Amino acid sequence: MPKSQYVDPAVMRAPGKITFNDIPMNQYNKTIEEEKANYTTEDFMRIYRDMAICREFETMLFQIKTQSTYGDVQYTYPGPSHLSLGQEANAVGQAYMLDENDFIFGTHRSHDEVIAKGLSAIHKLDEQTLMKIMETFDDGKVLKAIEKYTDATNVKQMAIEYFIYGITCEIFARETGFHKGLGGSMHASFLPFGIYPNNAIVGGSGPIATGAALYKKENYKKGIVVANAGDGAVGRGPVWESMNFAAMDQLKQLWEESKRGGLPILYNFNNNNYGMGGQTRGETMAYEFLARIGSGITPTQMHAERVDGYNPLAVIDAYRRKKPLLLNGEGPVLLDVLTYRTGGHSTSDAQVYRTKEEVEAWAALDPLVTYRQSLIDASVAVDDEFEKLLQYSKDLLHKTTKLAADESISPYADLKNDKQFIENLMFSKEKIAKFDDREPEVLAPKSECPRVKQIEGKERYVGGGKKVSKLKTFNYGDALFEAIIDKLYEDPTLIMYGEDVREWGGAFAVYRGLSDVIPYSRLFNSPISESAIVGSAVGYAMAGGRALVELMYTDFLGCCGDEVFNQMAKWQAMSAGCVKMPVVLRLPNGSKYAAQHSQDWVALAAHVPGLKVYFPATPYEAKGLLNLALNGSDPVCFFESQRLYNNGEEFHEGGVPTGYYELKEGDLDVIKEGTDLTILTMGATLYRAMDAVKILEEKYGVSCEVMNICSVVPLNYDQILASVKKTGKVLLTSDACTRGSFLNDIAKNITDLAFDDLDAPPVVVGARNWITPPFEFDEFFFPQASWMVDAVNESIMPLPGHEPTANYTPVEAIRRAKESV
Amino acid sequence: MAAGILMPKAGITVETCIITKWRKNVGDTVNVGDIIFDYETDKATFECESTESGEILEIFFNDGDEVPCLVNVCAVGKAGEDCSALRPVLDGDETAAPAEASAAAPAEAAAPAAAAVEAAPAVPVSTGDIKISPRAKALTESKHIDPHFATPTGPYGRVIERDIRALIESGVGATAAAFDGASAAGMATGTGLGGRVSVGDLNAPAAPAAAPAAAAEPAVEYEDVKFSSMRKAISKSMTVSLSTIPQLTHNTSFDATELMAYRAKLKANAEKLGLPNITLNDMVLFVVSRVLLNYKDLNANMLDDKTIRQFKDVHLGMAVDTDRGLMVPTIRFANKKSLAEISAEAKALAAQCKAGNISPDLLSGATFTISNVGSLGIESFTPVINPPQTGILGVDTLMTKVRMVNGELQGYQAMGLSLTYDHRALDGTPASKFLRDVAFGLENFSLFLSK
Repeated sequence: MPKSQYVDPAVMRAPGKITFNDIPMNQYNKTIEEEKANYTTEDFMRIYRDMAICREFETMLFQIKTQSTYGDVQYTYPGPSHLSLGQEANAVGQAYMLDENDFIFGTHRSHDEVIAKGLSAIHKLDEQTLMKIMETFDDGKVLKAIEKYTDATNVKQMAIEYFIYGITCEIFARETGFHKGLGGSMHASFLPFGIYPNNAIVGGSGPIATGAALYKKENYKKGIVVANAGDGAVGRGPVWESMNFAAMDQLKQLWEESKRGGLPILYNFNNNNYGMGGQTRGETMAYEFLARIGSGITPTQMHAERVDGYNPLAVIDAYRRKKPLLLNGEGPVLLDVLTYRTGGHSTSDAQVYRTKEEVEAWAALDPLVTYRQSLIDASVAVDDEFEKLLQYSKDLLHKTTKLAADESISPYADLKNDKQFIENLMFSKEKIAKFDDREPEVLAPKSECPRVKQIEGKERYVGGGKKVSKLKTFNYGDALFEAIIDKLYEDPTLIMYGEDVREWGGAFAVYRGLSDVIPYSRLFNSPISESAIVGSAVGYAMAGGRALVELMYTDFLGCCGDEVFNQMAKWQAMSAGCVKMPVVLRLPNGSKYAAQHSQDWVALAAHVPGLKVYFPATPYEAKGLLNLALNGSDPVCFFESQRLYNNGEEFHEGGVPTGYYELKEGDLDVIKEGTDLTILTMGATLYRAMDAVKILEEKYGVSCEVMNICSVVPLNYDQILASVKKTGKVLLTSDACTRGSFLNDIAKNITDLAFDDLDAPPVVVGARNWITPPFEFDEFFFPQASWMVDAVNESIMPLPGHEPTANYTPVEAIRRAKESV
Repeated sequence: MAAGILMPKAGITVETCIITKWRKNVGDTVNVGDIIFDYETDKATFECESTESGEILEIFFNDGDEVPCLVNVCAVGKAGEDCSALRPVLDGDETAAPAEASAAAPAEAAAPAAAAVEAAPAVPVSTGDIKISPRAKALTESKHIDPHFATPTGPYGRVIERDIRALIESGVGATAAAFDGASAAGMATGTGLGGRVSVGDLNAPAAPAAAPAAAAEPAVEYEDVKFSSMRKAISKSMTVSLSTIPQLTHNTSFDATELMAYRAKLKANAEKLGLPNITLNDMVLFVVSRVLLNYKDLNANMLDDKTIRQFKDVHLGMAVDTDRGLMVPTIRFANKKSLAEISAEAKALAAQCKAGNISPDLLSGATFTISNVGSLGIESFTPVINPPQTGILGVDTLMTKVRMVNGELQGYQAMGLSLTYDHRALDGTPASKFLRDVAFGLENFSLFLSK
């Protein structure tokens, strides 16, 4: 919402019509003779060789999967096999124009794309570089596994064997795979060749690839990004969000001159006409021709066209024309690459949705037959040359498959003896101050930021009965701001976006003032596209940068469930450490706006392995934890609460330090010490708990120890247990609905770990299991100080003379459970 | 700060001890290491050394009281110090609970709100299973508190930590042993300190319902003497032996001429050779310790009616008469010890028994026992097996016997042996052969020695 852009009613209301350009469909019609100007004989034949290797690779997997044999290899492979038999030409055509600086992202059906890109990279890289890659990737382990078995006569030949072997091992779940076998068929990658991960979620690569393209633009990196997807992925919202994100007007109208232009990304739809068994054209989609949808995104219609994916030269031709557009800031581009998979969706597909005639009609056009014939007809090579390439492909696959299937050469990771093998890959746990050494791009020195100056005069400690006006209080929002601006001036790769973050400063004004000193590209308003926000951050981090993104309210987590739970959380371990994930996702829990803007979903994030979860409740915690998050290499769900932004630091004498500091990860923040009762708080309930402490201590003589769980994952139980050993009694409270609250998990662990020290079961005081009612009814829904006292009285230690108002009796607990509330 | 002195645990299996005599009184000053009282187990008496220095502030048990091990028996500290917290909470009495204690409790509770916990009454609040938090339970164990005396103030009638703390502060309770009896047999009248119930009270006969009718004749005078704990142990063991073991005794005698001559020679040269005063009994012990190795069923313990544990070595029990009763210390691995070693050890053990300071651990584990009553002129007797052993050899007095040698009467010194054996473990023939071999060894002692 920049003021520079005038929403002119005269323009907006003017009559007229929107016109469209024609969308090209299968326009390629060059003959081989004509193409001899563009391709040498070797090029023509290499295209055929690469298609043959792709074909043989999938044939091998098909035979292994269905018959447990391939040649003389006996092996049973239990994992997924979404084969791309029939789709070789589009993969090889795509890879032909790409080099190692161009990234591809894939789908569950991307073996062909991966192999074609790898073969293309090997062709283009010099021998020295290839050797270095093989010798250094995973400390040369993959190379060591096969080097004594290879009889390759040159580095490129060895690289081909190395690459096919590494991918096969990855699919076979071997430690000699490119991700130590933890990615597998649907999550393979090989970053040195620009092959970024495939994705088992349909359309899952859409936002991630977009983020990688954003990284290239933000950091002036070479190359383009190709987001591979099937035609079925057009049904997925995140894909639409991503295409819009890559094309949003601000890129061409508001970003700095040096970065102006659409993202360098090509959405490559391998249109094989089916989304599993659902026929896209005619059944599940409405576009008639997939290429049409580009017209719904940008005035350029995303330069979309349909390309004949059964002719590798047609695909190459398209890429030859589109790549310069992308490098020129005219992206994004959409290609509808027509193809057909002659095999089933997977090996368990009975193919009841199509006829034999249809499959045979496409098989008759098999590019391995028709392309070969066209080259013979044009006297590029004689038939025997093609046979030799087919035999080469078979020999290559037999050799590599045999090595990959042999456990003595290609062992599985030793999970039996190395109990922490996967554990050690869940997080990268690095401290990385900055991801690039160049000077961060800013509009002015930090000291000239008006907010920085304003903060200088604020009171950084307001405890001990000090009376400080709201405006003079250095608050929770200021603490977050301070951590962020410090990092913006340190790490040039750090970018921030979300809804209304620039001029507005976010819904809670945490970023207010940053637009004065941070250029648009590093702090921008994203479309209201949570999937694209989080997914692109994942891709941005995967490519090598640091992203701080936010959802306006935690409640919108459902809109980007896949991106948070499947992508952000899992890629470090699925890639066995090949990628890092320095993404901090701010998640403010709202209040006042009722059911869809007031929820505490810590439990959702904490449940999913691979995410760190922080939730500061005081300014001191906020700055220390955000510093920690922004200086790390792991994904963090950073919860905040609308109830906290105006709070000053009441507990830590000395207040919030002006300099840099980090809280110790996992530690609870000890708010006050006591001897009779441990109160563990999470989020804004800390302040209500302090009210309860006043009642418990002054009225009932119960000395309370209060600790705030500000690092939820990881969590240091030693600290909790030491307190429980002292008090024997624990009350836990947060604003999350009680059923499934993460506090129940902590309570259960305390019971397990400190059973003999307990004088009463740990008691959780959470919100009711209702919709959040309007703010006027807050006291009936969210935990109140009186509820905490009631819970102590009912379940921990009856307090003489106490008259409870909330019902914590077992009878009521059982009734509520029966009533689903 | 005042500190408690615990009743020591005088052996792994010892649960309670009886205070036999206090050597110090309240107000006396003691130092670490001073003997403050004597106590006995069922097997031995001991002296308790003070583990604290200071003035004895309070003595919690009297002479004759049976006290669980590791319970405070007295408090030592600075004069005037409050030691009520150290007072052991003993299981037991409700009838004797001081009325003022229970009356005072509600008054206290009504006082400051912070002191939410009522003072615990001096009676068990509950019997049998109680609800108690893990933390409170751990506290009862570390402080030797009976949680039945606690007033549960936790949720749903649960005893929680504060209830046990209140109990400790109130100092009311009873010993664990007494409580077990009380809950089983109904409540007894407390005669202990401050009306506490001790085991003795529980064993006291219930008060008669009515006074006995007056008798014309002079009343019969008598005194009921309670067994000492050692007497009780002997009583129990002997009853078990004679009521459960099919045992019988074989008697024989042997010519002690050579044995006596050998002993005389030893005695004459003892000083020169540095030997102990080796007695005839030592020589019997020596021979038996060797011969037993050939009679596995006699060097054994009966585990039940069907199983016998045969020992590889001989651990010889040796009956010793003491002022307090019979004691049987054990010479371990007697078969591996020389005559001189056996003699020296037998003397030392007997001395410790008589002094009453033998470790209870040395009073068990024998595989066979020898009981010598010869010095009292007994010619023959029936020793009673000490279960679970399978045999006991009685050694009788020396007496002059005559025999025919070349048609002439010849007198000689003979000694009697009486073997009682468990007929479950072995039959008469092996038992007789054992006796014969022992007799032969003793008659030909120098030959036996050279074996």
